[in-house]
Order: sequence, then structure tokens, then C-alpha cells
Amino acid sequence: MAHKWGMVVDLDRCTGCEACVVACHAENNIPTAGEDQAARGRAKHWIRVERYWEGDFPNPRVRFQPVLCQQCDEAPCEPVCPTYASYHTPEGLNSQVYNRCIGTRFCANACPYNVRFFNFYNPAWDKPLQLQLNPDVSVRSVGVMEKCTFCVQRIKAAEIQAEAEKRELKDGEFTTACAQSCPSKALIFGDLNDSASEVARLASSNRGTKLLGELGTKPNVTYLERGTWEDATHG
Amino acid sequence: MERRDFIKISALSGVMATLEGCRSAEKQLIRFIPEEELIPGIATIKPGVCTVCSAGCGLLVRVMQGEAEVVRHGQQGLIKMGLAKKLEGNPQHPVNQGKLCARGQASLQMLYHPDRITHPIKRTGPRGSGEFQAISWDDALKEVSAHLGTLQASGSANSLGFLSRPLSGQQGELMTKFLKAYGAPPPVWYQPFDEAVLRQANLFSFGHAALPTFDLHLADYVICFGADFLGTWNSPVAQSISYGEMRQGRPGRRAKLVQVETRMSQTGANADEWIACRPGMEGVLALGIAHVILAEKLAPQAPGSRPGSLIDGWQAGLPEYAPEAVEKQTGVSVAVIKRLAHELAQSGLAVAMIGGPPLAHTNGLFNALAVNALESLVDKSSILSFTPQTGDAAPVQATLAALHTLSAQPPQMLLLYEANPVFSAPPATRVREALAKIPYIVSFGSFIDETSVQADLILPDHAALESWIDSVAESGSSRAVASLAPPAVLPLHDTRPMPDVLLGLGRQLGGEVAKALPWATYDAMLRAAFVPLRTRPGSIDVKTDDDFWDAAQTQGGWWSSPSTSPPLAAVKRAPLSAASPQFAGAAADFPFYFLPYVSQSFADGSLAHLPWLQELPDVLTSAMWSSWVEINPNTGDRLGIKQGDLVEIASQQGSVRAAAVLSPGIAPDMVAMPVGQGHENFTRFASGRGANPLSILAPLTEQETGSLAWAATRVKLVRAGGPEQAKLVLFAGGMSAFPHEQERR
Repeated sequence: MAHKWGMVVDLDRCTGCEACVVACHAENNIPTAGEDQAARGRAKHWIRVERYWEGDFPNPRVRFQPVLCQQCDEAPCEPVCPTYASYHTPEGLNSQVYNRCIGTRFCANACPYNVRFFNFYNPAWDKPLQLQLNPDVSVRSVGVMEKCTFCVQRIKAAEIQAEAEKRELKDGEFTTACAQSCPSKALIFGDLNDSASEVARLASSNRGTKLLGELGTKPNVTYLERGTWEDATHG
Repeated sequence: MERRDFIKISALSGVMATLEGCRSAEKQLIRFIPEEELIPGIATIKPGVCTVCSAGCGLLVRVMQGEAEVVRHGQQGLIKMGLAKKLEGNPQHPVNQGKLCARGQASLQMLYHPDRITHPIKRTGPRGSGEFQAISWDDALKEVSAHLGTLQASGSANSLGFLSRPLSGQQGELMTKFLKAYGAPPPVWYQPFDEAVLRQANLFSFGHAALPTFDLHLADYVICFGADFLGTWNSPVAQSISYGEMRQGRPGRRAKLVQVETRMSQTGANADEWIACRPGMEGVLALGIAHVILAEKLAPQAPGSRPGSLIDGWQAGLPEYAPEAVEKQTGVSVAVIKRLAHELAQSGLAVAMIGGPPLAHTNGLFNALAVNALESLVDKSSILSFTPQTGDAAPVQATLAALHTLSAQPPQMLLLYEANPVFSAPPATRVREALAKIPYIVSFGSFIDETSVQADLILPDHAALESWIDSVAESGSSRAVASLAPPAVLPLHDTRPMPDVLLGLGRQLGGEVAKALPWATYDAMLRAAFVPLRTRPGSIDVKTDDDFWDAAQTQGGWWSSPSTSPPLAAVKRAPLSAASPQFAGAAADFPFYFLPYVSQSFADGSLAHLPWLQELPDVLTSAMWSSWVEINPNTGDRLGIKQGDLVEIASQQGSVRAAAVLSPGIAPDMVAMPVGQGHENFTRFASGRGANPLSILAPLTEQETGSLAWAATRVKLVRAGGPEQAKLVLFAGGMSAFPHEQERR
């Protein structure tokens, strides 16, 4: 059976430490925008941690929520692209074909999750910071839209390796950079079509919700709601 | 055109093109023969040790072949070499178990930082001017050993100082041995947020002068007084791993986290219940809870030498800490105190912990002893324990006292390693002035910062990934852990590892120093220290010392089998009674408590030079690249301060300016600022950016330990300008505040 890549974000485990954010920058050659460009809303974070404040002092509450591309099955970003740069892969990824992209930014407008980032400039690294760049991931040039790929380079590498060894991919054999770094194991990545995988098991949890699920985008990222002590103790 | 002309023109343009090509510096570079064998496109995974904080996490370094400009034998050239591409946690390592925090991930940029010092430099301009010129390693080392020799010969060997960031393991051992044999006082381990108060308290309460380890995955109830244990405190990765387990790792069982603090930290944001307590009164609150447990006999008192015996009135049931009295002092209601006591006692597996701001008051030790007493009352299953150690615990050292000694009697010569007190010590310590009085300063750091710019000579160290690195975990595991890693990559620049430079200087000095440091290289010293661990229980199963040494390098260190915690017993000591916290500045003139807090991105400020961390949105505010001050919205209304306005924060010691962030997570009578920005001189990414809250701290100290009471300053606030002047850069909201496009291209 074909793979269907998905992720579970356990909001009860997430601490907001943002290890995932830096891990993603290191893995995916995301350029640093700098203060001026960041002030213009051009900083790129394929994964971010949002915060929602409720209540006032002395009873404030915060909820953290990591947001990345939801890799929707009915992705609003795909049909709007005039050049088919936003494209749905057979394994369920919303991929971005950089050399088709002509920078209309329609996809970013259509995306309700605000997870697509436009390259307003050619990226630059002060020497020798460029030596860190991951050779497995292309650097995006000016005029091109970019977004989370579920670390497609890791997916491909693992698939090729498994095929060369004439075996099935095992659950947990590889994972995305964000999930690999996550100290509290709030991010779990895997194959939703493999019913024995951890991600498939957790995605069917009764705590599971979809981000803006009412829009009918059918995300492949499932959020597990925060628990409460009272529920666990008395319920 | 004739055929001959065509050939001439072609030849000429060919030559011109070649000459043009030669003009670009890169094309003039020599190509060196590769020094290691690598297959292009295939990653090699090598062990590493994280040096960003003292937690001592194990790394896996992803190395791939690339082409770099390097210096070999004084000659610049191009070489195909292994380059570190990504840092991951080492899954075998007992502390971080394959995980790694944002700061650890970003430390990769230290290796490739564009402002690294690439070769030895010697000061040419006045002190602090930043004017240096290149000097050869031979000349530089001759100069240092001449200075060391002269100083020793003139009988003032005790006037050599060594100021370093804390180093566990053999690097620290090497410095200590060097200084002892030379005749100088021991090294000063400088860090602005030292844990002297907690180590002292744990020595009194439990008999261990160390930071504790928490097996949170065993707990059903956690009450935490101020420690940001998921963010920056102690061993955050290890603590976050077990936090994840206590939340969702045990089906049907989910622990409760209660956080007591005055400004909501990242940890507080994750709590099930967040309790605001008056600053410095956390110990009183802990004893109020203990009072209810004792009075209502909710938990049996264990016999023996218990931490409670260190608190005045414990045996009598803490009569002074009745909930009504405690409510008056802490601002926490009687109902809440009683409920917490019942919840703690009923949950069989509870733990109380303390860290951060409650210890940074003049009564910090009392707060720590009080929480330790509550901990031993409610923790029946050793959720708090101490990581077994391979060597003796270092004596508790309060940083501030050492700095005062430095200022009072500046040494004749100072060796400096990655400590930056000019940036992070309160101005009243007058470190900058003291450095000006020191005739000769040598720095081993890789970057120019506010302190190392004062040096006369800089002998840059290799980056951590280019060096032999070891570290000993003080906490975070039930195993004794000594991490070890050989260099993951070859050096990029004309730098030399600090330990090897010290060993070389020792040989040149001869006499006692050479005798104390008989190793030719630092890895020989490491081997001598690691090989005896082979015979310890649970060690790596190999036949010979050589095999053990190889295996330790491959696995990323040595660790023992899990062991039960060493026994906890309180030291006999006169009991302490409650002391009120003192603050610098009268409440009438300076109406706000001031809390500088360890930043999620920059820790104590030593990571502000890494662009990934500058652009990392703060998780509670989404601020990047800037400084801000957190103010309660009601306070903002009262003072006419809006989100993003420029605010001046003034203490008796001085003032700083930063953008206002209105936050419901802070008390109306407190303002808080993250530490890390406000560097005058610390690479292109951090210099001249934001403000440094440590620069307005009063030099108040914790009464018993002499540690800096960094939460004991009071300030006043005034609006100093609008958002245009404040330049608060937020990630969230960036799109809605999208400015008109002036710079179209």
C-alpha cells in the first residue's frame, strides 16, 4: 500500500520550547531574514509555536500550538496555482515545485494556516555560514514560494534505502527534523496508512482534532487536545 | 577578418578572461589535498557533546563532505572536508536521550560564525578599542610564556587569575591543576546566574551540594516554585522528556503541575494551575502548605535527620505559618493554601521543586530550605534525587564574591575563557574598571565580546565541534555520566584548542607545572581520566583499556548502570527562621519589582550572536531581534503605555529602554525583561541591539551565600516614545501589520 504521511501534535506534551523551529531551520536551509525584513513580516518559519492567552492576572492561561503545513488532502493552495507548482504527491504531501513557481503568491493567499513563505530576496549567508547548508535540500531563490515539506528529503532517502534492501519501511525508522528534536515527544510523524504505526494510533485518539477542520481542508496533521488534571483524576 | 586575426583575437580574449578570473580571491586559492576520506553525498554520524549549558547533553553530528576555505600552516586554501550539517541528540545518552533544545541545535552556528576570531591577535590600540593585529602562534605563545615566567620568577605567582565559564570534566581539571602547580589561586567559574544558593541549600537539606534530578514520569503532582524547568533551568531537555511522560506517557494517569511565580515563565504557561506569589515570599508559602499538612496530620513525618529540622518551628508544627498569616504575606488565599496541602498529601507521588527567581532574593537560602522541607514531607518515592558523580563535588562558589575580589585586588595577569562579566555583572562590581588595572590579559575565546575586547592577546580556541570535548552531568540522570567526543570536523581556521595551549605553556614553564601536567596532548589527559572508569559497575563490556577508550569515543562517553540515589540526609545546623526579602530602591520612588529572566533564546546572553536564535520568536511574545519589557495591561493603562511603546526602566543604578509588551502573565507591581540583548560589542548579529537588563541591577546579595540577588532590584517606569522608536519586531501579526512596499524589486 502507498504511504500516506501524517503527523500528530500532542498539545498536552508541547512545552513551547521551540526546539522544532531551530531544527527545521538547520535541516531545510531556511535563510535568516534579519531584523529589517523580519519587521516587514518576511521572517520564515516553516513551523511556529502560536500562543493563545486567556484570562487576566492573577488567573492567566496560555495555550501553545505548533503550526506547520497541514498537508491537506483538499488543499486550498493547490487549485489556485496557475503553474501547478503547488502539487499533491501520490503520498499525500502538498509539495512545492520550486522551478515551476512563478511567484503569484495565490497559494499563500488561499492557505488558511499562513504556513507558506515567499522569497522576497535571494537568500544570502555571511561566509562561512553557508558551509552549514544541507546538501540534500535545495536553496530557494527570489520569487519562489516555500513551505514545510515534511522533510521530503528524509522520506525519499528512507524509501530509497528500503527499496535497495528490498524491504518495507519500518515505523520510526526515520522522522522529520522537528519531531526528532522534540524533547517532550509532542510531535509524532509517520505513515497513516500503516495501522500499526504510532502516528495512526494517536491520530484516532478521542483527544484528536483538526486545525480549522470545518473548512473541509482534510488536514493530515491531527492535534491532540490538552488534558486536565480533573479529567484524569475523576473522569 | 583573416584567419590569423581571428586566432589572435581569440587568444587575447582568452588570456583576458583568465586574468579576470584570477582577480577573484577565491580562484587564487590553493587546493589542498583532502585530509580525510569521505564519500560525497553520504552522511557520517559522529558523536559530540553540547557545550551550550552545563546540562551536558550528548550529540550526534551529521557530517557530509563539502568544500571549505581553510588555513593550513599559515596558508589559506580550499579543501574538500567533512562539514557539520546538523546536530541531533544522541539516543544512547542518558541525559537527553536523542533530544536536543533550540539552543543546542543552534550552537552549530558557532562553528561557522562569520565573526569568529580566526587566528591569534594582539592588541594595537588602547584597551577596549577593538584594534588588534595578527600575530603568529609562535610569537604569541612566546609572549605568554615570557609573561608567565617573569611573574613566577618575581615571586608573584599568586597574582595570576583565571576567569572562565564553568567547565565540568577535564578542562576544568586542567585549569585547576595548572594554576595550583603554578602557585596561583583556583579558577573563578563565572556565570551570571550561578546556582550557589540552591547547591548550598541542597547541601544543608540533603547532603548534596548539587542541582537535583527529577524523575517527573513517576510523579502525580508537581509543585514548582519559580523554576523554569521546561525552558532554561538545570537540565531542561531531560526534564522536558520526563514532563512529556508525566502528561501523556501513562494511559489514564496525568500529573498536575502547579507553578508558583510572579511572572509567567514558559514552564508556568504549561501549568495546570498558576499561582502568583509575592516576590521573595515563596518559602513562606511552602511552609504555609507544610503547616496545613502537619496540623491536619495529612502525611506522616518520617524520622531521622530531615530537611524540616533546618526550619525554625518545624518540630512544633510551624505555628508561625498558619494559612491566615501566610495569606497576608504571600497574597495567596487561605482556601488555595489548604487545597494545595490536601492535593499534595492525597496524591501519593508528589514533588516540590524550587529554582530561579525565588533563590535570587536576599532570603533565597531560606526559600530553598523551606521548599526542600516541603519536598521531603510530600515526596515519598524519591522523585527528587541526585545524579551519582564520578569525582568529588566542587565546593559551592558564589560568583559575585569572586568578582569583588577581582575588583579589590586586580591580579598582575589574567587568563580569560568565555566568561563575559563586563556584560553580565551588575555595574557596581566595577569589573570593567578592574580589568583596566590588570597589566596583561590573555583570552582564549573565539569571539570578541565586552570582556575579551579588553585583552592584550587573544589565542582563539577551536570550536567545540573541532575539539576533544568532555563534560560531566551534574543532574538529569540516574546514572553517573561522563560525556566524551573526539573532534567531529577538522579545524576551519588557524586556531588551537585551549587545553592543548595550556599543556604547551606548562611544558615551557617547566618545574612544578610541567610535572603536574605530564600529558603531551589533551586527548592523552582525557584517556588517563577515562580509562579508570572501565572497572566501575555497569561499564562498557570490553577486554582492554584501548578497547574501552575506543568504545567510549564511539558511544559518546561513559555512563554507569542506573543506581539508586545516594542517601539524602540533612546537615546538622542551626534552624533558619523566616527573613523578609530586601529590595534596592524605596517602593515610593521605584514602585515596580524588576525581574530580569534567563532568555529562552540567549540563555544568559552568551548565545545572542547566533542568527538562528535572534530570529527565533520568543514563545510567549513572538518577539525577535529585539528587547522588550513585560508589563501588566492594567499598569500600562494607568501609565499610558501601549503595546509596542518605548519605555524607560530606571533603577538606582541606571536606566535602559525597551519596547513594551503588555502581558496578563505578570503582576501589576512587577516588570520583567529577558536577558541577552544589549550587547555593545558581540559580533555583527548582537552588537548594538536592544538593552541589557543586567546593567541596572543593584549589587544586593543573598544573605547566607553571597550570591547575586538578581531579582531584588526595584525600578520605575516611564513612557519614552512610540512604537517607531521602540522597534519591537513580532513574528505573529507580522502579516497584518504588513507595511506599504517601498522597496519593490
